[in-house]
Amino acid sequence: MEQIIDSLSQFWQFTGFANCTWQHIAMIAIGLIFITLGIVKEWEPMLLVPIGFGIIIGNIPMFPGLNIGVYEDGSVLNTLYQGVRQGWYPPLIFLGIGAMTDFSALISQPRLMLIGAAAQMGIFGAYLLALAFGFAPNEAGAIGIIGGADGPTAIFLSSKLAPDLMGAIAVCAYSYMALVPVIQKPIMLLLTTKKERLIRMPAPRIVSQKEKIIFPIVGFICTAFIVPSGLPLLGMLFFGNLLKESGVTRRLANTAGGPLIDVVTTLIGLTVGASTQADKFLTGNSLKIFALGLVSFIIATTCGVLFVKIWNLFLRPERKINPLIGNAGVSAVPDSARVSEVVGREADPNNHLLMHAMAPNVAGVIGSAVAAGILLGFLG
Amino acid sequence: MRKLFLLLAFPFLCGTIGAQNLSDLIISEALPVNTSSLIDDYGEHSPWLEIFNTSQGTVNFAGCFFTDDPTNLTKSQIPKGDLATKLGPRQSAVIYANGDASKGTFYLNFELRKGNTVYLVSNDGRTIIDSLAVPLVIDENVSIAKFSHDNKGLIFNDIYPAAPSPLSENGRRSQKSNAQSIQETDPHGWTLTVVSVMVVFFALFILFLLYNLSGNIFTGKFKEKSKTRSSSDEETTAAAIALALARYESSDDTEAAIALALHLYLSDRVHDMEPGYITIRSNPDSAWRNKSLSFRKKT
Repeated sequence: MEQIIDSLSQFWQFTGFANCTWQHIAMIAIGLIFITLGIVKEWEPMLLVPIGFGIIIGNIPMFPGLNIGVYEDGSVLNTLYQGVRQGWYPPLIFLGIGAMTDFSALISQPRLMLIGAAAQMGIFGAYLLALAFGFAPNEAGAIGIIGGADGPTAIFLSSKLAPDLMGAIAVCAYSYMALVPVIQKPIMLLLTTKKERLIRMPAPRIVSQKEKIIFPIVGFICTAFIVPSGLPLLGMLFFGNLLKESGVTRRLANTAGGPLIDVVTTLIGLTVGASTQADKFLTGNSLKIFALGLVSFIIATTCGVLFVKIWNLFLRPERKINPLIGNAGVSAVPDSARVSEVVGREADPNNHLLMHAMAPNVAGVIGSAVAAGILLGFLG
Repeated sequence: MRKLFLLLAFPFLCGTIGAQNLSDLIISEALPVNTSSLIDDYGEHSPWLEIFNTSQGTVNFAGCFFTDDPTNLTKSQIPKGDLATKLGPRQSAVIYANGDASKGTFYLNFELRKGNTVYLVSNDGRTIIDSLAVPLVIDENVSIAKFSHDNKGLIFNDIYPAAPSPLSENGRRSQKSNAQSIQETDPHGWTLTVVSVMVVFFALFILFLLYNLSGNIFTGKFKEKSKTRSSSDEETTAAAIALALARYESSDDTEAAIALALHLYLSDRVHDMEPGYITIRSNPDSAWRNKSLSFRKKT
């Protein structure tokens, strides 16, 4: 009998109940909130649901040494986590993004590309603030990239510059991407007048197939020569787009933009979530990162909108740009472009800004990859 | 004679006693971010620090304290009663600073972090024996280590980032990382910010110029400006279209639509390349959102 009790007692020590702390409970609650937001509110469900469940997986209290945790060498989760840790999931996601994205809006209105550059100010504004908050330059760079509103880029850069902050940065980036409509709309309304919101832009021209094929080749060579450190992201993005537009590799493009990106998104979400173990996530630094992430989104949106307003001062009336597409300079595709459309139609139901906003939106993807390459080059 | 013996023996006694003092211990190395270095008894990569006995005698550091808070010198105590706390001459021991002292003798109840200073405190809880400041900027799996340059290896004045070398002579000195250099040359980040913003704008501005140029080429603006658009091929094509249309009875609108579609197709201004279809649009510059103005005709 005594032996049975001893065995049961020993078993009890292995259970999650015996090893549970309030931090575990708090993290599991956060995971549940993510899942709820993803399913009920449908905010970025393909990201929030895997991340939320990953958070729960990573925070099941357990006896260390069983070789099952995400940080234990050789465990299953650890093996899957290497895609995040070594930074090869994000370029695969970029391959899929390239294979899914139609860059026609950007090719037809290349001037709107500069809005995508202006919105990257969010990255560098957050970098400066993070330094002021006492973060080291490499950590500040990893935190700053949250302002690019690009989850894979944030994971890629933080895995290189500040691996110990990666969980908090990734969760922060995806959380704010899900909240883009909530964050951006009030800023856009605050910074624009009723008259500006009514500006109608000339319709974009139709883009030929040849232009679409030339776009990824020229784009890649140009950006990679300027920022070679952004090669993994830029290369995969433009390669994916070439697969799509070439017209002769449809199967490859379908795979990259379909099953491949789905698999990688699932794994990246799950493992990033699992990496947010309570002892590494519930720290003062995480709170600072969330605050800085919010500020970076605000700076990015503000700079995008203000850049258009200032630019309009120098444009002829028929060439003026609706400043409501300034927010779309961040690379949250297509969420921020949708915000431009929604806010634009509130001012004028017949004014469709979606296609115009897609131009700075996809430029933002390129811009944030370039910015990540620059930060990696300086701080890596 | 006895006095003379005592006088002669005194320095040796002092030396022997001194050599076995706790004051001979130093914190010789620390690794705050451990992802691939030493694995602890629980299979985890925990931050660690190394203490080293600089003397030629054995020193027992049981009961000593470690802390990262100068206002709380007794933060984490090394338990007494474990023989492993005796350090032989010129030996070292690794202490895991992972925040969980319940894991064993060589575990501390605080986590070693970048930017913190860790103190070794005597077993009286008051006397600081040694300390080591961990830089705020240090790469993962790079330790901060003390090096000695005197012949006897007693004075460890030089402190550098190094390749981790737990329980052995401190490894080679690491090169400064880019982040460390940036922190020294641009502590507030303004230079990097200005340069980075300029590069981002430059990269996208170059793309803008290239796509603007290609757009002008593909839409024929250059040709229109130079007014040299009179290729014999297009004239032949136009004549062929006219002849073909003249053979059939059709309305002017239909002829115009077909001619326009063929013109767009030949001048490569159509949106899609779909075998078997010609996309006909009444106004290619504004029909992107107006589906009622577009239709397709199977050829």
